[in-house]
Amino acid sequence: MNRPWVPVLLAFAVFVLVWKAIVIVGGLPPFILPPPETVAERFVSAWLDGTVWPHFITTLVEIALGLAVGVALALLAGYGLARSALFERLASPYLVAAQAIPILALAPLLVLWFGNGLASKVVICAVIVFFPVAIATMVGIRSVDGRLIELGRSLRATDRQILATIEIPGALPSIFGGLRVGVTLAVVGAVVGEWAGASRGLAVLLNLARGSLFDIPLMFATLVTIALVGVALYLGVVVLERRLVGAR
Amino acid sequence: MTAIGATRPGAIDLAGLRFAFPGRDGAALPVLDGIDLSIPGGGIVALIGPNGSGKSTLLRVVAGLLEPTGGSARIDGDAITGPDARIGLVFQEPRLLPWRSTADNITYPLELAGVPVPARAERLKALVELMALETAAVDARPSELSGGTRQRVALARALALEPEVLLLDEPFSALDALTRERFDLEILRLWQRSGATIVLVTHSIPEAILIADRVVVLSPRPAHVVADIAVDLPRPRTIADLDAAVVSHTALRIRAALGDELALASDATPAATPAGARRAPAEVAS
Repeated sequence: MNRPWVPVLLAFAVFVLVWKAIVIVGGLPPFILPPPETVAERFVSAWLDGTVWPHFITTLVEIALGLAVGVALALLAGYGLARSALFERLASPYLVAAQAIPILALAPLLVLWFGNGLASKVVICAVIVFFPVAIATMVGIRSVDGRLIELGRSLRATDRQILATIEIPGALPSIFGGLRVGVTLAVVGAVVGEWAGASRGLAVLLNLARGSLFDIPLMFATLVTIALVGVALYLGVVVLERRLVGAR
Repeated sequence: MTAIGATRPGAIDLAGLRFAFPGRDGAALPVLDGIDLSIPGGGIVALIGPNGSGKSTLLRVVAGLLEPTGGSARIDGDAITGPDARIGLVFQEPRLLPWRSTADNITYPLELAGVPVPARAERLKALVELMALETAAVDARPSELSGGTRQRVALARALALEPEVLLLDEPFSALDALTRERFDLEILRLWQRSGATIVLVTHSIPEAILIADRVVVLSPRPAHVVADIAVDLPRPRTIADLDAAVVSHTALRIRAALGDELALASDATPAATPAGARRAPAEVAS
């Protein structure tokens, strides 16, 4: 694989061509499915004229803070779930129940409680990110080879040293599996939160484009932006994973 | 290593040592049933016994990883209450941290002990030289090393803190016969250079004879000392020494002590069966 980008670009070209073909063959009007070049044009103009920017920043901040809070809590809870049978027995029914309630159903309530500003979005993002990362952390910590921990004890490692030099590195591949799921869900969380009530954000822009502006190409350009945010975050996690986990 | 008086450091004293695993319903599972064993500083003792006789458990108690349920374990007169810097332990498997390079695995005990980086590098150099590790292996990950090299790295790691006592829990059982012989000789060389007390758990009678001053035979669980057999073989020893008449005589005595237990433990590994033990000295000598 000397040029890893070649297949990626080819696949993208196929995607765009199929899109264009559907528009032509189906004879679809632009307000149902605008052709790719129209969306591309609107995407560029919306970024250049500053239409997207404030919404983009708002959503990005929500995602970043939500991820930070959700991941931090999930790492702590995941460790507790793995190492304390009592904590697992007490906490896991609530965790599963919370996960079983669709975030869509929960979001309006959270907006009611935390207002329609940043706080409610951060909470929604954190809630949705929490579960996969906590479970991945629990599985990862449990999968750490007990014989390595015994080795650490034989070398008089403190609990903190065992955590830092054996448990965390050992659980890292699994934790990253949870983070891959978590970052994409964080985008969903931000969009759902904005949908439930917000004055700014990519989902607000989506709503505006569909409704009062009736600018369907802008709606698609916003969808593309949301998708790109997800892809960028996911790639970020993959790059971090390569660096931290690397070849073993 | 500071010598205490005239005696060499690293003396191990076990008196009436008992250990039992807590079983279900409060019923304990006794593993060690009053072990009495004294090893002078700088001595080499081989522990031999049928599978599941508690040899590894005994080593873990001495290493401070398991708390005895009775009796006492002492190093240089001090009761062993937990893992001790004077004691180095090598497990059956290398137990290297897979995400660390060879160098970082070897210096791991130094890192845990808070030894500053320059001193670690210096010690690493000495250990790499001592264990004759290739330069390419030093930066490699454990997954890139052969089984023998991995165990050599584990040995280097156990030596990092310059222990007075080295506990070896069948460290070469996963290696092929030829590599294993080389390692046995390497252990002897290390012993001569470091002067550490060595306790080697093994299933191999020839290995025990080649290495040890004394071969201690344990009974099946719950273990007690069945026989303590001196090996009257001059040092330094070589593989060729295993031809000596004294060897077959010693082997015979060890086997006699093991005899009854091995007849019962017919499902033991080949290395521990009477047939394997009978064959092995001749194989090693040829």
